[in-house]
Formats: sequence, C-alpha cells, structure tokens
Amino acid sequence: MSTPSQVYEPFKAGLPPLVRYWKSLWSRRRFISEYSRSELREQHFDSAFGQLWLVLNPLLLSAVYFLLIIIIGGASDALRYAHLTATLFLFYLVANSLTGGVKSITAGQRLILNTAFPRIMLPISAVVIAVFKFLPTLVIFFIIRSVLGLAYSWQMLWALPILLITIVLALGLAITISCINVYFRDIASFLPYLTRTLLYLSPILYEASALKPALRSLQALNPLFPILDSWSQALVYGQAPQGSNLLAALAWAMGIFLIGTYFFLSREREFAVRL
Amino acid sequence: MPSASSPHKTKEIAVSVRALGLTYTTAIDRRPTLRARAKSLGRGSKQTRVIRALDNVDLDVEYGQVLGVIGANGAGKSSMMRVIAGIIPPSQGRIEVFGSVSTLLALGVGFNPSMSGRDNVFLGGLAAGMSRDEIADHFQEITDFSELGEAIDAPMRTYSSGMFSRLAFSVAATVRPDILIVDEALSTGDAKFKEKSLNRIKELRSDDRALILVSHAMATLRDVCNDVAWLHKGKLVQRGAPGVTIDAYQEFLQLGKSAAIDEDV
Repeated sequence: MSTPSQVYEPFKAGLPPLVRYWKSLWSRRRFISEYSRSELREQHFDSAFGQLWLVLNPLLLSAVYFLLIIIIGGASDALRYAHLTATLFLFYLVANSLTGGVKSITAGQRLILNTAFPRIMLPISAVVIAVFKFLPTLVIFFIIRSVLGLAYSWQMLWALPILLITIVLALGLAITISCINVYFRDIASFLPYLTRTLLYLSPILYEASALKPALRSLQALNPLFPILDSWSQALVYGQAPQGSNLLAALAWAMGIFLIGTYFFLSREREFAVRL
Repeated sequence: MPSASSPHKTKEIAVSVRALGLTYTTAIDRRPTLRARAKSLGRGSKQTRVIRALDNVDLDVEYGQVLGVIGANGAGKSSMMRVIAGIIPPSQGRIEVFGSVSTLLALGVGFNPSMSGRDNVFLGGLAAGMSRDEIADHFQEITDFSELGEAIDAPMRTYSSGMFSRLAFSVAATVRPDILIVDEALSTGDAKFKEKSLNRIKELRSDDRALILVSHAMATLRDVCNDVAWLHKGKLVQRGAPGVTIDAYQEFLQLGKSAAIDEDV
C-alpha cells in the first residue's frame, strides 16, 4: 500500500507542512500573475485613460498635499516637493496593499469554496497589484526629480533594498489584515482611518528630523517611519540611509511578515467554513 | 493539482473516508463583526446554530470506479465532495487521498467577466491547477469543444449564460487528474451540448482514474456509473450497484420511475 498523497483530519490551529505548502504555492505563481492582471483590468487599467489616471492620481495627490504644506507654513522648496512625492508614492504602495488585501479573502469566496489552493495567494496578488500601480509613479518621481534639478548619485541605489523591505512589510500587512477580516468584517470600514492616521504619523508631509521631540515616541510605533526616512535619504538627498533606520525597518517588516503569515497559515484551512 | 505520481492500477484505493463527521457552526448574526462580538460578550453567549452535515460516513473509492453520489437536497453530498477535495477540514474522522484531485464543483471558478474568453481559458485553467503550457497545448481543443467560434475573443460579460457554461465546462474537462470530482456540472447548455459533455465524462472513465459524480439525473448515473452511494441527512444509507441503489432511492422518494426524475441530464 502506498502512502497517501493527502491526509485530511479535523482542523487544528497549527502550521501546515511548509515545504509542501511552498511547492504548491510556487507551482501556482502563473496563476497569481494572471489573477492580478485580470483584477487590474477589472479596474480598467488596461485602457489609455485608466493608465493615465494611474499617473494622474498620485500627481494630483502630491499637488494637494504640497498645497497643504504651503498653507500650514512648512518649507516649500524643490527639496520638500521631491521628498513629498517620493515618500507619498511609497506610502501608497503600502496603503494600496492594505486596501486591496483586506477584502481579498472574503471577495475570493467562490474560488475558496470550490477549489483547493494555498489561500495566501489572494493577499499576495493584492500586493502584486499594488506594486504594478506603484511602478509608473516611480517613473513620475524620477521625471519630477530631474525637472527640479536634483543631483544623481550612486548612493541612490540604497533605494532598492529599501523597496524590497517595503514589499515584505506590505505582504505582511496584507496577509494579516485579510485574515483578520474573515473574523471581523467591519475591519474593512475601519481601514481608511487607519491608513489616514499612518499617513500623518509618517514623515511625508514633514521631514523626519522636523518631528517635535514630544512626538518622538510615536515614531517607534510606526513601521513606516524608518522606511520612509531612509527612502527619502537615498532617493531625494542621494545619501546612504542610517544603518539604525535600515535595521529597524527590516526588523519591523520581517516581524510583521512572519507573525502575519503564521497567523494566516494556521487559520486558512478554516476559511471555507467561515465565509 | 498537477500530479507527477506514477499511474495507478485498477482496484487500488483512490480515496479512503473513515468515520467522517462534519458540523457547521453558523452564526445567527448575518456577518461576523467586531461589533457583533462585543455585543455577544455582554450577553455572555454566542448566537450560533450547529448543523450536522455529515455523520460517521465510511466510503472507499477505488481506481477504475465511477461512483455516483445521490441523495435529497441537504443530504451532505456537496459537503462530502468539498471535504474530499481538501476545501473544508472534517470535524471528525480521517480522509486519505492517493493521487491528484481535481474538482468541478461549480463552473467558471476563477473566471473574470471583464476579460475575453481567451484570457479566461487561461485564468480558469490555471485556477484548476494546469500549467500555462498545458493550457496552450489544449487551447484549440477547448475552443473547438465549446463551439464558441469567434466569440472567444469577446469579453465574457457579453456571453449568454449558455455560452458561459459551455466554455467553463470545456476548460474543466481538459484537466486530467487521477481523481475527478464533478458536482452537478453536467447540466449545461442545450440538449446537444449536454450529450456532448456526457460523452466527455464517459471518455474520462479509465482504469487508472477514479470519478465521483454528484447528480440528480438518475438516467445519467445508471448509464455512466459502476457504483452508487446514497446519502441521506449526512449518513450513508446504501452503497452498491447503480441499478439496485437507485431503485431503492427512488422507491424511498416514492416517485418510482417517473419522468421528472429520469429526464434531466
């Protein structure tokens, strides 16, 4: 008698066999990319105006926030505008992962009830979509940067590892919140307030160094703070980011990713009966 | 799931179900929310209803078998298929599966109506666990079988419901798993297409494959299956040769061989 290829037993909270899970996920990478592409198309990003909007939306956002900075009396020079666009665009990568991820499991109900596949695919594809939306804004940023006449330097390559850390953090957040949403459906309506708060707590409308000393303690609680600070250092000022910032960013990203994934994997077999 | 396993021999066990029990706990509250949880904290009790979908079911399926599953609505047929496919974990018991399983529980899973039929062939095929190359190899076969012609490049939201289910069935019927589970997916399209899809299922019968068909179409099951299991209210009532089991079931329903139960495919 051969050994069974699958054994199903009563649900217990705990990790599934990780090697098999990873293999099954890896074999479906094409599905993740096709699924993300079709979701993007669903949002009309394949039409000319849709793509224009993809670029216009962050540009208008940065213009509105720059207006806000001028009104509340912050420094409003070229550097400040470059800092605003760089950090705002990266922030929207994380925010879009959260808003896309929160309903990824509950919206994939038909898929979940009728096929067996690694459920973590759904929040992952939400992050893939957010990355697709982010890439054109990165091009816009470099155009803005050139128009403003900021000098280029090799230190800007630090942006690459920072971007990787951000994607890991976005994955962790999307996975965690998609899982929470299965148990508490009202988290989706709470989410806009959460992202808005994160936006103001992050060094986007102000420079990290300009934060009031009284508010420094909040900085330690915001996973995006070290990321956005390093991102601005590298891309706007062309300087190597502080090592402590990079380490803090990496620790936050890995921590949220690992805890969120553990939480998700140990629960996902129960999702089908919870939907 | 695509399989790299060696071919299976007839009479080898494909699926072994032991003392399977399944209970659903459904909330009376429409949706689980933080607010609802906070409210029930105050009351000290959760408002739930327990439904016993499957109760101590033992069932073996061998390779080479075509097992029909019959039973009234709410007998637990679909629940059992979902447990065997690994979609829902059982509450009690143990299920062992020897081979790759593919499910055809609903048509058009993973399809996106705003994409063209062509894109959806790939999307649906990938969702069913095929590789992109496999789908590309079978693409012509799929479109020919679906009889869509040039409509394959139109967005799927422009399709009629018949066209939709024809394409969905064509994609699903291309998957070649060791174990195929089909849940009432045969009644698609017009009479001609029904006949065609029934023939496709017959083609899928082979010594190294196990088929499990859930259906209310007794004539079809008599024709296709070589074994039938009858479920009632979560329990296995009878298992055996199609003629005997189906007769007993129909007698139980007090319908006999009336036209209503025999006709629909």
